[in-house]
Amino acid sequence: MNKRRLSKITPYILILPFLCMMSFVFAGGLLQAVVQSTGYMPVFGMYDVSLRYYVQLFSNARFMSSLWYTFYIAFVSAALSVSLGVLIAFAVDKSRSGESLSYTLYKVPIIIPHIVVAILVIQIFFQTGIISRILFALNIIQDATDFPLLIYDRGGIGIMLAYLYKQAPFVTLTVFTVLKGLNKKYVQVAQNLGANSFQTVFRVTLPLLAPTILSTFLITFAFAFGAFEIPFLLRSPARLTLPILAYFDYRSPVLAHMPAAMATSVTISVISLSFIVVYMWLLRAMTRRGMEGGGFL
Amino acid sequence: MSKVRIENIHKSFGGNPVLKDISIDIDEGELVSILGPSGCGKTTLLRLVAGLETADSGSVFIDGRCCDDIPARKRGAVIVFQDYGLFPHMTVTANIEFGLVARKENRALRAKKTAHMLDIMQISDKASCYPHELSGGQKQRVALARACVLEPSLLLLDEPFSNLDTNLKDAMREFVSDLQRDLGITTVLVTHDKEEAFMLSQRVAVILDGCLRQFDTPRQIYARPRSIQVADFIGEANYISGTVLSGTFSCFLGNFDASGRPDGSARLMLRYDHLIADPDGGVPCQILEKKFRGRTTTYRVVTKHDPITEMYLNSPIDTLQPGSSVFVSVSAGSECVL
Repeated sequence: MNKRRLSKITPYILILPFLCMMSFVFAGGLLQAVVQSTGYMPVFGMYDVSLRYYVQLFSNARFMSSLWYTFYIAFVSAALSVSLGVLIAFAVDKSRSGESLSYTLYKVPIIIPHIVVAILVIQIFFQTGIISRILFALNIIQDATDFPLLIYDRGGIGIMLAYLYKQAPFVTLTVFTVLKGLNKKYVQVAQNLGANSFQTVFRVTLPLLAPTILSTFLITFAFAFGAFEIPFLLRSPARLTLPILAYFDYRSPVLAHMPAAMATSVTISVISLSFIVVYMWLLRAMTRRGMEGGGFL
Repeated sequence: MSKVRIENIHKSFGGNPVLKDISIDIDEGELVSILGPSGCGKTTLLRLVAGLETADSGSVFIDGRCCDDIPARKRGAVIVFQDYGLFPHMTVTANIEFGLVARKENRALRAKKTAHMLDIMQISDKASCYPHELSGGQKQRVALARACVLEPSLLLLDEPFSNLDTNLKDAMREFVSDLQRDLGITTVLVTHDKEEAFMLSQRVAVILDGCLRQFDTPRQIYARPRSIQVADFIGEANYISGTVLSGTFSCFLGNFDASGRPDGSARLMLRYDHLIADPDGGVPCQILEKKFRGRTTTYRVVTKHDPITEMYLNSPIDTLQPGSSVFVSVSAGSECVL
């Protein structure tokens, strides 16, 4: 083998262990889920291969309601996380000359596990939580039930608060890193051409950050769409997100529910993967327009 | 009244003085170059005028108005940056329109002005391109168009030609010179390129080590530098030692006018171009070395009666050989006693 060809395949050889793991854990698991979702489960004596479980799912009101609910939770929490995260990134960037506290403080929630965040949210926002108790002590509410139901609520506010707490710092970390590296000369050029701060942010800085903001939105959306523990701990008994629905079907003693659980899992995977495809496509389109930012043209 | 008045500007970064007591007056419609080596503070001076930096002391006046408290966006002084600073996410048209949109000019007027600028800059065919699709020269035209469309009271050019290759550089210098004359915009050009400063400007401010050493016409800066530092920076200078007595400088090359100079030892500065290899006579010299430079040839010579004084001269003649003798004379009126 000549040297050139070897150097070409070296990177692939180097990532081979990772690829093996990925294909075994992810692709293998997904393949099995796809096969089982068609109803082919020889262990249980089920041999008929068909798409009827998908047809049943998409004509099932419970599944469809869960699908929209999951979309709603994921979209609203991603939108709020990105908005808040970007605002914090700008604030941290502004305070650059100040103390380094702001550099580290906003990263704390990234390290805290989701399950702890769920418990924190309950402790703070539940009807018997800290805020409610403070309001009670201040005589603003007379009873715990006067405090609005923010956890276990049908609107998923508790779930979104937990996501916001976890994901906004992630957005800040990503956006701030790019913002820091963004050529500040663009801001000076804009000011020099007569733009005020508002115009500079909306016409120059934010558009240059757009690819990063978009990618963090898609990542936080995809995560919230497929996440399990936070909706499981903070959900309303009446509303289920798709991963919880899949889990309940999977745990069901009725064997016939198993392919439905797998079909739900496959649906979640397909939606998440399609987000990655959209992300790659948008990123390529933006890079083509020279929007990768940073460089001064 | 001068268009721009820079008055006693001091500026330091981290305790290191970058600009020391700079004062310059620029007239309406004039093109002035700020010339100096890299790191001499010339770009800082330009940024101070634009309002992108704040002076430690001193003031900038534009149209008689003190700009100390006027933010960059309201000064009417527009910079064309060395690396152009075109917004990568905007088309050429959007880039040019940027300042007009910031001013909230109406759409029709904006389109008209932008189209006019595209036409002047000869880039109409690139109107819908993005910056990364343009060549260096085209990017520069867009940056110029974006500045000129605002009809600024002052145009500031920060080393605008340094990123261009030689041929394009010449073409763009010509273009900017014509544009400045046609539009009549008062312009300050920052450059480290002497030739560029001499070619384009009516007056040149030489800044060395943060101090304004001379502010004069290109011809004066070249032929009559006020100090050895300026003469050295412009380059290609011979220094001949001699003495001044009653307004006359004497050395082996002859006697030269030194009116106003105090009696005592002094040096005569002669550019390489001001010494002539003269077949009709002059000081007898011997050629030590020759260097062919295209348009001219530079000869290193030594005088026969003073073998330690070496001189350099530029000549259009390329046929003289090292070791041969030559007569050297001084071109009339070119001497400068320092």
